[in-house]
Amino acid sequence: MARELLKATLETLYMVGLSTFFSMVIGFGIAVVLIITGPRGLRPNAPVYRVLDVVVNLLRSFPFIILMIALIPLTSLLVGTPIGSTAAMVPLTVAAAPFMARLIEGSLLEVDPDVVEAARSFGASDAQIIFRVLLKEALPAIILNTAVLAIALIGYSAMAGAIGGGGLGAFAYNYGYLRFKTDMMLYAVILLIVIVQGVQSLGNYLYRKLR
Amino acid sequence: MKASLAQASSAIIQVRDLEKYYSPGVPVLYDLSFAIEPGEVFGIVGHSGAGKSTLLRCFNGLETYQGGSVRVMGREVGTLSEAGIKELRRELGMIFQNFSLMSRKNVFENVAFPLRVWKMPPEAIRERVMELLDMVGLADRAQERIQNLSGGQKQRIGIARAMALNPKILLCDEATSALDPNTTISILELLRDINQRLGITVVVVTHQMEVVKRICHRMLLLDNGRAQALGLAEELFLSPPPSLKRFVEEDFTLIPGGVNIRLVFPREISQQAVITGMVRKLDIDFSIVGGRLDRYRDDVLGFLIINVRHADFDNVVNYLKANHMLWEVLNDGA
Repeated sequence: MARELLKATLETLYMVGLSTFFSMVIGFGIAVVLIITGPRGLRPNAPVYRVLDVVVNLLRSFPFIILMIALIPLTSLLVGTPIGSTAAMVPLTVAAAPFMARLIEGSLLEVDPDVVEAARSFGASDAQIIFRVLLKEALPAIILNTAVLAIALIGYSAMAGAIGGGGLGAFAYNYGYLRFKTDMMLYAVILLIVIVQGVQSLGNYLYRKLR
Repeated sequence: MKASLAQASSAIIQVRDLEKYYSPGVPVLYDLSFAIEPGEVFGIVGHSGAGKSTLLRCFNGLETYQGGSVRVMGREVGTLSEAGIKELRRELGMIFQNFSLMSRKNVFENVAFPLRVWKMPPEAIRERVMELLDMVGLADRAQERIQNLSGGQKQRIGIARAMALNPKILLCDEATSALDPNTTISILELLRDINQRLGITVVVVTHQMEVVKRICHRMLLLDNGRAQALGLAEELFLSPPPSLKRFVEEDFTLIPGGVNIRLVFPREISQQAVITGMVRKLDIDFSIVGGRLDRYRDDVLGFLIINVRHADFDNVVNYLKANHMLWEVLNDGA
């Protein structure tokens, strides 16, 4: 039983870890486009900004359970099967990327516009401003926001477990709810608490260290 | 203004009929024409919202303009390509009111940033940064975090960063407005030193008259985006046109009766005791209404308002003329 608990834990870490990574990459890309084309951006472009803005809001308004089912064809296409931890990463990433985009956009907007102007004043290019000024200055905030996102994904991953994604959520549901093994459910919940605490502490530590 | 246009060929920055507006009919800058000469310290003075920072940003393309011409080192800023603007900015250093340093880079990395942007070799960067930190007197703080520095030190780092690429012109946007008086003086001394030792043209935007008096050769007074006065700083201060008066002088309550005369002390005369000499020679009495002595760059200059009797007025005027004093009658007190 302990081995199954361990397996479920690893599945959760695998699902959440990789989906967090993918949604960070995609979210960062979206956030950068939002920042550049936004009203006060380096290259304001209202049509691009508005379309992207609406798409992000649209994806964020889907209830995750609905999104998961709606994405089954896409998941099958990408992973080959809609079932399992790997398959669960598709809806997790699709749900988390727009969320991450908003969090990163917020962090980038917090960077002092005067510092950006200073960089422009000595001839920095847009790319240099994005990567060496905005990203550099916003990194601590982005890391803290990533912890927020990872924790939200732990919650989502439990739902993914319900349709065959595996992980601690599924473990707690299968053993605790369906088979009335309250102690098993309790172990799973305790492990989830430990993981959430760990992620938040790591985020806080890195924030303090980088700031 | 005509005089400066005549010198157009030598100017390092030439502004002609400049107009800027955010929306049509609401000009931010209006009909500006002036020239900045190489090697001078030029002041752009005005209240907040007068458009002076916007004007400064037209020089390095941080702001666009809608009409007229801004030529910097012979290049029309408004027509430059993106690459052209970058090349221009390389030759124009800029410092800011709130220093605009990157909080997550240390002192060394902040100064090194422009050099990294222009992809200098690491060895050259190291050498140049230490040289710059030495120039601003902060070589021992190279590894310090920005937040551990005082305001004056932060502005010194700002200056070191602005000088990193060996600019021809240094643009200062309210560079001392966030500093206390003593720190302001030390920063102004540094700017003056840079101007004199390296021959770099310095353009200073400020609302502080102290700054203009201390370092500016010439100044432009801006109000509501329009030029109100242009000329040698000390001349404008000593006999200010009406537009500048409310900037530079407190109101003195004039004595009723008699004639109130405002005497200006240009540099040759300021040390001599002209007034007491006059009293002894003409054997008259007068009242002092008010006055002030100020340090302008290296000179002490000032003005004095005195009140003399009507009967003595002609004698006094003759004496003043004979001694090459500048003067004006403020009002006929009667």
